[in-house]
Amino acid sequence: MTEDLTYEQAMDKLEETLKRMESDKLSLDEAVKAAEDAQKYFRICVQRLDEARKKIEVRAETEPTA
Amino acid sequence: MIKPEEAQRPFTVTELANEIRRSLRPLTALLVKGEVSGMKRGTAGHYNFSIQDGVSRLDAVLFADDSRRVTTLPEDGQVFIFRGRVDFFGKTGKLSFIVDQVEFDDVGKLRARLEELKRRLELEGAFDPARKRRLPFLPHNIALLTSPTGAVINDLQETIWDRYPNMGIVVYPVQVQGAGAAMSVARALRRCNDEKRADVIVLARGGGSFEEMYAFNTELVARAILDSRLPVVTALGHTSDRTVADLVGDAECRTPTEAGARVVPKKADLLTSLRERRRRLDREIAQRFSQEDDRLRSLRMRLLRWLSTLIQRPTERLAHAQADLAKLSPVHQIERREQALREQRRRLHSALTLRLQMSQARLNATRGEERIERALANRFGEQARRLQSQHQRLVALSPESVLTRGYSITRDAKSGAIIRSASEAAVEQRVTIQLGSGKLAGRIEEVSQ
Repeated sequence: MTEDLTYEQAMDKLEETLKRMESDKLSLDEAVKAAEDAQKYFRICVQRLDEARKKIEVRAETEPTA
Repeated sequence: MIKPEEAQRPFTVTELANEIRRSLRPLTALLVKGEVSGMKRGTAGHYNFSIQDGVSRLDAVLFADDSRRVTTLPEDGQVFIFRGRVDFFGKTGKLSFIVDQVEFDDVGKLRARLEELKRRLELEGAFDPARKRRLPFLPHNIALLTSPTGAVINDLQETIWDRYPNMGIVVYPVQVQGAGAAMSVARALRRCNDEKRADVIVLARGGGSFEEMYAFNTELVARAILDSRLPVVTALGHTSDRTVADLVGDAECRTPTEAGARVVPKKADLLTSLRERRRRLDREIAQRFSQEDDRLRSLRMRLLRWLSTLIQRPTERLAHAQADLAKLSPVHQIERREQALREQRRRLHSALTLRLQMSQARLNATRGEERIERALANRFGEQARRLQSQHQRLVALSPESVLTRGYSITRDAKSGAIIRSASEAAVEQRVTIQLGSGKLAGRIEEVSQ
């Protein structure tokens, strides 16, 4: 589920999680979970930024056969 | 009947067909004006349609090669000027107008038609900002729908990789002008959506005249953009007017550079913001843990205190219970009774002892008989002395002593009654006279009062 997040989603989640952590309203368990989540979102963000991508691909225009 | 001179040799159908074709040859490079109907794309990439003027009708064909060259593709209901030649197809027995160029009959009319298209799309809400798809913040891959040659694709690629060095680019080469352009663009848009290699589409060309840009004003392209699941960014050149494609697209840019910046964030900016969050995360974690550490320590203290009181109470209760239990145990009961017995014995003993002591004491007290005797003796002595003195007084007061002093007592001789007065005596009365020593008997001779 989390693995499918886009950079922006992960970033939003990271920001939201950080805000929750900074609000001091979390129980310790929640804070630990939030920290884990935040780390996870952070990793996803980094991963998304550095994902090795096919640099350029040219899709030849094929004449439709139908 | 066929006359003999006429029937030297009959034409085969093919020969006649060829004859017809030959005779039609002069009908080349013709211009014909007519309204299009029944526009249909064939399997070989050609187009079949009819050209009519309300009275007559011609079948027409636009071959695939020519279709790529023409400025615009004919559309049903529209009047165009077609250039081409007439040909006869032996296989189908049909006569067709082979179109090699299509021109708008009237640009003004075309513009009016365009306005009509815009109105229609507007009514459908196709230009509604709310309908527009959001561009991905950070796309995985970007599809570039543009001419594979030229400055546009280079500018796009440069801008994208300048901002984001490892961004993936998928190029879908399309015809950006000519009659086949609209179809080519529409097809590429569909392919993009089907293949899902990219998550945003940039539709670009380097501007051009109204006619050159015509493909981007067609309903075909407009519909393909509207149907696209992926957001479409247009970058059709800063010199051209806004096209329908711009209006229905999800983001409108003018230049490839602008479009590149629009679809890709700067990686450096992202890294900076990510680093800032990393710092916040670290700080937050450290802070929270030290805070929790403190809390934990204080909680531990409280817990210890609470535990000790918690244990204390049951311990006390247990002790009480043990004591209660012991009280109830037969051993203890016997013990208790024995104790009570012992106590009673002790009390009895002490009571007896006390009594004995008291008796003893009393006894001891009676043992002072000497004292009693002494007291008695004293008493007796005193009494004796008193007796003596009283005796002496008695002696002194006794008639005998009075008598001894000369006094006498006269008594009636008969009754012995003391005669204290003369009146009590009578003449001749016999009397006895007691003297201090001895007695006399006499008779009264005279009474004097």
